[in-house]
Amino acid sequence: MAGAPVSLFIQCLVDTMFPEVGEAMVRVFDRLAIPLTYPDGQTCCGQPAYNSGYRREAAAAARHFIEVFEHAKAVVCPSGSCVHMVRHHYPELFPDDPVMTERAKAIAAKTFEFTEYLVDILGITDVMAEYPGTVTYHDSCHLSRGLGIVRQPRMLLGKVRGLELIEMQDSDTCCGFGGTFSINYPEISVAMVDEKITNILATGADAVVGCDISCLINILGRLSRRGEKVEVLHIAQILAGEKGGDA
Amino acid sequence: MSATTPSNYRTAATAGIASPRLQKSLHGLQNRFGKGAMEIWATMTDQEMRRRVKDARMNTFAHLDIILAELAKNVRTRGGQVHFAATAQDAIAYTLAVAKRHKVNRVVKGKSMTSMEINIDPVLEDAGIEVVETDLGEYIIQLAGDKPSHIIAPCIHLDRNQIGELFEEKLGIDYTNDPPTLTMAARRALREKMLTAEMGLTGCNLACAETGHISLVSNEGNIRMTTTMPPVLVALMGMERVVATLDEHREALQLLTQAAALQKLSTYVSFLGGPAAEDDPDGPKEFHLVIIDNGRSKILADPEFREVLACIRCGACLNICPVYGKIGGHAYNSPYCGPIGGVVTPLLDGINKHADLCKGETLCGACKDICPVENDLPRMLAALRHKLAYGSDLWNTSQHSPAEAYVYSFWKIVIGNPRFFRLMLRTGRFLQRPFVRKNKMVRKMLGFAGGWTKGRDLPPLARQTFAELWKEKYAATRPNPIEGQNEEGN
Amino acid sequence: MDSQTAFMRNIRQSLGLAPDTERPKRLFPALFAKADTALILQDIENRTTEQQNELVEILQANALALGVNISIAGSHDEAAAIVVDLVRTKNPEFTHTKHIVHHDHPDLATLQLWKRFSREGITVHTSFSADQQLREKTIASFIGITAADIGVADSATFIQLTQPGRPRSTSLVPSIHIAFLKKEHLVADLREAYALLREKERLDSFVFITGPSKTADIEAQMVHGAHGPREVHLIVLSPPPIEKDVRETQNLQHTEEQQPNS
Repeated sequence: MAGAPVSLFIQCLVDTMFPEVGEAMVRVFDRLAIPLTYPDGQTCCGQPAYNSGYRREAAAAARHFIEVFEHAKAVVCPSGSCVHMVRHHYPELFPDDPVMTERAKAIAAKTFEFTEYLVDILGITDVMAEYPGTVTYHDSCHLSRGLGIVRQPRMLLGKVRGLELIEMQDSDTCCGFGGTFSINYPEISVAMVDEKITNILATGADAVVGCDISCLINILGRLSRRGEKVEVLHIAQILAGEKGGDA
Repeated sequence: MSATTPSNYRTAATAGIASPRLQKSLHGLQNRFGKGAMEIWATMTDQEMRRRVKDARMNTFAHLDIILAELAKNVRTRGGQVHFAATAQDAIAYTLAVAKRHKVNRVVKGKSMTSMEINIDPVLEDAGIEVVETDLGEYIIQLAGDKPSHIIAPCIHLDRNQIGELFEEKLGIDYTNDPPTLTMAARRALREKMLTAEMGLTGCNLACAETGHISLVSNEGNIRMTTTMPPVLVALMGMERVVATLDEHREALQLLTQAAALQKLSTYVSFLGGPAAEDDPDGPKEFHLVIIDNGRSKILADPEFREVLACIRCGACLNICPVYGKIGGHAYNSPYCGPIGGVVTPLLDGINKHADLCKGETLCGACKDICPVENDLPRMLAALRHKLAYGSDLWNTSQHSPAEAYVYSFWKIVIGNPRFFRLMLRTGRFLQRPFVRKNKMVRKMLGFAGGWTKGRDLPPLARQTFAELWKEKYAATRPNPIEGQNEEGN
Repeated sequence: MDSQTAFMRNIRQSLGLAPDTERPKRLFPALFAKADTALILQDIENRTTEQQNELVEILQANALALGVNISIAGSHDEAAAIVVDLVRTKNPEFTHTKHIVHHDHPDLATLQLWKRFSREGITVHTSFSADQQLREKTIASFIGITAADIGVADSATFIQLTQPGRPRSTSLVPSIHIAFLKKEHLVADLREAYALLREKERLDSFVFITGPSKTADIEAQMVHGAHGPREVHLIVLSPPPIEKDVRETQNLQHTEEQQPNS
């Protein structure tokens, strides 16, 4: 079962706000006996700058990322949007620098989203986790549309003992986060996340699960403001079996 | 686009969100047409068709001079008159001159986005000409003195009661909110207009160069009326609205009607190749085709944006966009709304002027998936933001926000310097303390981030970062398995 | 031509080409390369009666779904009977007297409609090109009758080419449109229809008609009869032996009579 050593890229929001998600990933990989490392010096993939149009700044972040992870065999990240950034935008960020473009392409080819790495690369769908409860799953945009990762998280959730997945209406509709969009256009963003929350509540699930902490923070923030009781969990936390079992 | 004024996106968006009526309409629209189109794409047997149509469109643009010349030649062979208008003013002046030459008192319009883009109605009206929209939705909008809020369903923001009151007031009928009765009232009123107008004014969905036709699509029959009954016809056509051959026409048409309204074909597809022939029993005696640039050649010239010209104006992206689905069409303050409007409006009418349209989306990618010609609208929105970030001489665009640019140049320093990054985090953790509430959430933030906490709480920075936890709990127990791994510390 | 010269110059410039060097069409033969339709035309030509009947069935199903009243007539007499019944039972929308207008077409002339209503105060017009009053007669007519040039089973579309004696307004201005379609003019799909169109000599103006005029502009509620005909009746002229179908579809037709009346 053990694969090549994995270099963790712990996305900045996970690193700073939800380190427990990173720890959950560590527990899953430990359970699967996959060697792990966490390269020092990692910061941010550069997506906020890129999405706001600041490509020079995004390129600087990309360069830093490439330097930190260049020697990794596989980079695994608990965020679809960061992987989307690395895979699809890094190769475009150095139009006048063929050497950097090649390095960017090389990094792009070996950077994976967490569930994608488990299912598509390692061929694992059962990580021997347990979670007694009902959950519903939110398809993050860059994860599902950008990377085409739709079935992998569901396959993993399907094998979690005690877990019942109740699909919500329009699970793949944007939650309204959109990076700085959520700060610049809060009225629109909140209206969008409200619809998401309506669909989450309609399932009656105990928790909403996703693969992107940014969307989850958006959903959590609104749930909290509305005083709703639904729990918000990153999929790594479920797969680590934090609630029920062998964590 | 002379039609627009600087947008007030946020205010108009907020108003749209606050309207339960609009929310209900938009929800119904998206549920039916957005999902329906995605279903069609998923199940169509010819999965190459969309790509093929896109490739054909792009190939047409690479040879646009040749193809437009062929179109013009073939239309002229049948006695049609073709005018090439570089600007909106040019197109307006030409059309007005035709109307004046024929002493036109009344113009009936088929639904035309291009006519709104060039904003021709006020000019005709100032010349004493009555201008009547004949598409039911556009007619309602015109009677109400309102603006359309959807490319295909212009009065989606009005409900039957409002339309009932409007018709009671403007058409003098007894109040009713029954759609069939209202439709019949408009049918009678507009029939009279269409049978007596001296000039028809339409757009053009797709011209076919090979055969020298324009083609127009409608369900109501107003466009057939407009192009058949008045003695003079002027068709306004954006220069990109052309295909080379009949075969290309067929495929583009099939994508258009399916994407727009889930129809294999619209009720009417009219092909017009010029004025009525001598021995034809009816049809316009004079036929004018006005081919309009009005900023399109600039888009053609920029490889980053050229593909947006492939748009066939089906409106499908509006039917799936979660932002449009909340704010409605008026927020875009342009004849072109929704995701396509977010790209086309700034390109035609000024990127700075419409900065909110460039920035006011989440880049979720739903529009790209539904687009019948696979236009990558999110990529182009990001490219527009790129122009705003630094300014662009090519697009006559200045830097949108020097303050934001400053923030990102600072961010760049932090991101490239892990020690600084960690120091900033520690500072942040210290500074956030007074804001963290009992439920462990931040309820109010200051400065630019305050937008977040307008409707949401924010989880605080954790007491320890993952990086710190790794060092403390995990790093020591596992040797670095990778040779040459970058391990220099902070 | 001045506006065109400057316009094209600008396009070539935008494409990064020498703005003043015109690109002649003949140097780009692939651009207007005609698709090879020989095989498609051969398919249409060689269609068996059985296959044609199958297309009629597909057409029927699709037409009904669109709210088109479709009937199959085994002879011109049967077709005439359907028309006569419609003219007698339907009421004018905009006038008080009954006028009808039909295309100047051999299949319609065979019906001899003018004879059939001679004692009923129903006026029958034929849309001759030379008729100076044709416009007024068409506006006065509550039923327009045309002969379609091509029918498309897959979308229940019929195609009308504008020709001398066959104006566009006949299928547009009257409240009810009756279209005749010969079974041998029915093709499977648009691809076949476009291949046939290519073969037509005169292609100045033509229209695809798919169902009655409709709108959903008020609260997305479908209403028939926005500006064009609110009812469409398609009569497929098909020689025997499919009389069974005739009875079936006529029954269906009667259940379809729920169009709005004014």
